[in-house]
Amino acid sequence: MTVAVETNALTKRYRQVTALSDCTVSVPQGRISALVGPNGAGKTTLLRLLTGLATPTSGQAAVLGGTPRQDPAYLAEIGFLAQEIPLYRRLTAHDHIKLGAHVNQRWDGESVRARLAGLKIPLDRPVSTLSGGQRAQVALALTLAKQPRLLLLDEPLAALDPLARRNFLAALAEAAADGDLTIMLSSHLIADIERVCDHLILLASSQVQLCGDIETLLAEHRILVGPRKDTTAIARTHTIVQQEITARQTTLLVRLNGPVIDPAWAVEEPNLEEILLGYMSQDQAGTGTGTGQARLSKVGGDR
Amino acid sequence: MTWVTWRLYRNQGALSAALLAALTVLLLITGLHAAQTWHSALTECTRDNSCANLDGSLTLANSVVGFLVVATSAVPLLPGLFWGAPMVARELETGTNQFSWTQGITRRRWLAVGAGWLILAAAVLAGAVSALVTWWSGPNAAMQANAFAANRFDITDIVPVGYAIFAMALGICAGTLLRRTIPAMAVTLAGFVALRVPIAQLLRPHYLTPVTVYYKLTTPFLPTGPYLGVSQGYVVTNGKLPAAAASSFNFNGVPIPAVCRPQASPGTVLSCLTAHGYRGYVTYQPASRFWAFQGIETGIYLALAAVLLAAAFWVLRRRDA
Repeated sequence: MTVAVETNALTKRYRQVTALSDCTVSVPQGRISALVGPNGAGKTTLLRLLTGLATPTSGQAAVLGGTPRQDPAYLAEIGFLAQEIPLYRRLTAHDHIKLGAHVNQRWDGESVRARLAGLKIPLDRPVSTLSGGQRAQVALALTLAKQPRLLLLDEPLAALDPLARRNFLAALAEAAADGDLTIMLSSHLIADIERVCDHLILLASSQVQLCGDIETLLAEHRILVGPRKDTTAIARTHTIVQQEITARQTTLLVRLNGPVIDPAWAVEEPNLEEILLGYMSQDQAGTGTGTGQARLSKVGGDR
Repeated sequence: MTWVTWRLYRNQGALSAALLAALTVLLLITGLHAAQTWHSALTECTRDNSCANLDGSLTLANSVVGFLVVATSAVPLLPGLFWGAPMVARELETGTNQFSWTQGITRRRWLAVGAGWLILAAAVLAGAVSALVTWWSGPNAAMQANAFAANRFDITDIVPVGYAIFAMALGICAGTLLRRTIPAMAVTLAGFVALRVPIAQLLRPHYLTPVTVYYKLTTPFLPTGPYLGVSQGYVVTNGKLPAAAASSFNFNGVPIPAVCRPQASPGTVLSCLTAHGYRGYVTYQPASRFWAFQGIETGIYLALAAVLLAAAFWVLRRRDA
């Protein structure tokens, strides 16, 4: 299994603020990896470090076997779509296609035309006159036209309505279908993540909480429900991520380390959202600063 | 990148070309008229040998056009202000740098090609305006011998090209450092003025060791052609010049010593002063140094531009985008 992205203790500090701390993750090639976490968790910082737009304070990143750097050979391998969907406002989509052809060795302008024609997005109007969703589609199409081997997308779904979101994700899944392209996308939308992603990185308070294939993560976690009782026996073998103790019963989210033998516990399989919320509320309790749960449930509510 | 630069700046380029064309038409018409006036006046004065009186008695252009020509001293600043300062700053403000700097060319190359074309455009624009102004000022310069004068030296020949390249480098560097368009423009404007004025006023007269000529008061001396005056005054060859006093007996502010006072007529006073060692002097840069001075001043601004560009490259490469 080839690793597309590997970071080792990657840290980024801006004066007093630590944006990313001791981040060690690895994303195998061909995965669509979701980068999840509350706002300010360091998702954008991680993506920017991987593009080479920012340089780490300490630690290393290896992308496709090389260090992110200002070098045409490196830049040709990555496609980056920033959160604010930056395009030249007065230029048309057509202008951007021509622009890309002038600044890239490898460039498939025809694919952009075909994709945008399929979405009925006009090529000859300044992008400032397009809707937010159309702009995002133009920007994604341009990013894919570079034919990168690593696609880094920062909140690409935020500007899209549900239908556009589905089209967008379908396009991503299609682009990643042949297994060579690796995608990392940050998002708050867990349902959408579950639909296309097969890998997940959870950042909270600028630190990595989870990193791995979603299937494995689901298999490793269980919700244990039982009568109110001492949890030290469970904690001895397994890792308790979150616990909720009421007068009558105890609910635990645990990361398994072997089977649960004690028959007093009813074992349930959690869904991805439950796992993520469990970790994020743990962060909230631990540091008192995280607001991940509130944010996630809010975003989750409007989907 | 060449195409990109063209696409991003073509509107500004067209506007500048249009303004340049309008200025060309205006200066061509008034310039031809001025040349005609000058040449017919010259033919006429040669006939009755009165050409020495031409200075001041002849109006070659109306004052509005004359003012416009002097105002072209601002032209070299404009490309740096309106294209240079926003070049990097606007990309950072709108976030388009995240697009343009993750394409298949490095930031370094992006800046090199973009800045290269903008500098060339600024130089061409300033050079064209300067060429027009130089031609237009020909009769006037011949009449007033003012090629070294402030407001003339600065708008003719090659120095405007140096100023324009400097202003562009200043704008690009300020935009790269400050990352905001409006502050970068303010710094460009302030920096340009803050450097241009002292250099012209204080530094320029001393680019080369000036020539000093001492002359007898009875035979006053004036350098020929358009010279750049540094200082002038009076000295006593064997003694100290008496301090200026509000005495009623003085010559151009120099108190006349008692020994010369009884002389009644000015002519005899001057020969008396000369006999007592009084001399006048003029320290100046002769007209023959005009091109050397144009070259030196252009060189200074090009060197400053090189330093600013080097700083911009260094910062752009090193700092997070």
